[in-house]
Amino acid sequence: MSSEHRTNNSSVDSDYTVVDVDAHYLESFENIAEYMDEPWRTRLKESGWGEIGAKQNASSYFPTSTGDRQAYGRIDREHSSYPDEPAEPDEIKASMESIGIDIQLQISHLLLPANAVRSDDQRVTQFMEGYVKYVREHILDPDEGIYGLVPVPFHDVEASLDLLKETEDDEGFIGACMIAAGARPALGNRKYDRIYELGEELDYPFVFHTGGAGLDSYDGFQSFIETHALGFLASNQAQLTSLVMEGIPEKFPELDIIFMESGVTYVPALMTRLDEEYLKRPEENPLLEKLPSDYLKEVYYGTQPLEKSANPEYLETCFNMIGADQIMYASDYPHWDYDRPTTVTDLPFLTEDDKQKILGGNALEVFDL
Amino acid sequence: MSEKVEVKPVAEFEDGDREILTVNGKSIGVIQYDGNFYALSNTCLHDCGPVCTGRVHEKMDGEYTGTGKPLDWSHNEDEIVISCPWHGWTYDLETGEHLATDDIQLPTYEVEIEDGDVYIIVE
Ligand code: FES
Repeated sequence: MSSEHRTNNSSVDSDYTVVDVDAHYLESFENIAEYMDEPWRTRLKESGWGEIGAKQNASSYFPTSTGDRQAYGRIDREHSSYPDEPAEPDEIKASMESIGIDIQLQISHLLLPANAVRSDDQRVTQFMEGYVKYVREHILDPDEGIYGLVPVPFHDVEASLDLLKETEDDEGFIGACMIAAGARPALGNRKYDRIYELGEELDYPFVFHTGGAGLDSYDGFQSFIETHALGFLASNQAQLTSLVMEGIPEKFPELDIIFMESGVTYVPALMTRLDEEYLKRPEENPLLEKLPSDYLKEVYYGTQPLEKSANPEYLETCFNMIGADQIMYASDYPHWDYDRPTTVTDLPFLTEDDKQKILGGNALEVFDL
Repeated sequence: MSEKVEVKPVAEFEDGDREILTVNGKSIGVIQYDGNFYALSNTCLHDCGPVCTGRVHEKMDGEYTGTGKPLDWSHNEDEIVISCPWHGWTYDLETGEHLATDDIQLPTYEVEIEDGDVYIIVE
């Protein structure tokens, strides 16, 4: 690993424009409750989840997934109150400056396990609607490079269409976010066609963000590392498989699809596996006009958590199979395994041009910034 | 140099029949389907399986009919295909093209009918 002469304050050269396509402002349940209608407001406020939810939800001793993301108090964030307190809006700018980020896309933190909800799905819709109002008023600030993605309550197609349309004229919302982990049915299902159709119409890139609500709940695994390493990746592979094989890119060719948070090496693995099966069963997915890997090469991928420790030749092959035009730097700040832009600039095999694209150029183009 | 190789009389082919021959060390399948004759390499490009002994069928197709609609599934009588019995690689019976990609092309051979007999032309 290359790290010679760097200090832990080091950032990337200022001649890169760095766009971070995945950061998480730590909104609190209290914040959002103020923007929800009754009776949802009271239900949420009195539900005993406390202010931040991280302690009870993503990170508690008796967790909803296997374990404590903060590794038993060892993870600390200088510019974020994560995980103990909700964030203050000015934390965002401070953390962006400290990492070296010019533009950042905010994705809800509390919603990441939302698909674990298996009943009373209005809870999720109501929360998403409140979230949109809250970040619109307090967080998004295009002049400061802080943009947001509209969370899509895709379990309710009508509500999704309403919420997406409602943000159409917001300068701060520049795309949509599907919390992909745990989505049932899988996200290539025709049930969601109208959502993607509207996404195309609104020119909203769709970010698919994995999380701990899907395969993360495999039975019998004992440690956090087992379910996190496997669950995030398996969920992304599952949702990508569904989207590609059900022909979403053929049905909605203008829709930009971006997948977050499983590094990059899983993508070539999925490419080769899907191609291998498709060659043996080519009639089951009749909307495909080319090999599954050709579609996967048109999807965009957030880098984090980049497999920095991998053999550089192997990583280079993975980057080449995906293409530098399809990769976007993502920090995932302030989460426990966040990446700094130096994870990209350190890669020995990338050209200057590749680094510019990955750090910001691709995102600037796709999100039309 | 091409060689004209006699297969057998047209009358001896029942519908769907196939004849496997070896010409210059190459295994070739001659298939009669719905009154037409086709000749293809019998060596599957996946892993050398006997593709010409596999099932000949109308391609299964599904058409997108609109947002949120299920696919409209059918058998396409205009596209006859053959599936290798070993793992299912499927080729267009006429062109030898793999259904998944035109980068994979099973060799095909010209068929001639002369005086009631079937011949294939092998390069
Ligand atoms: S050998 Fe023909 S499909 Fe495998």
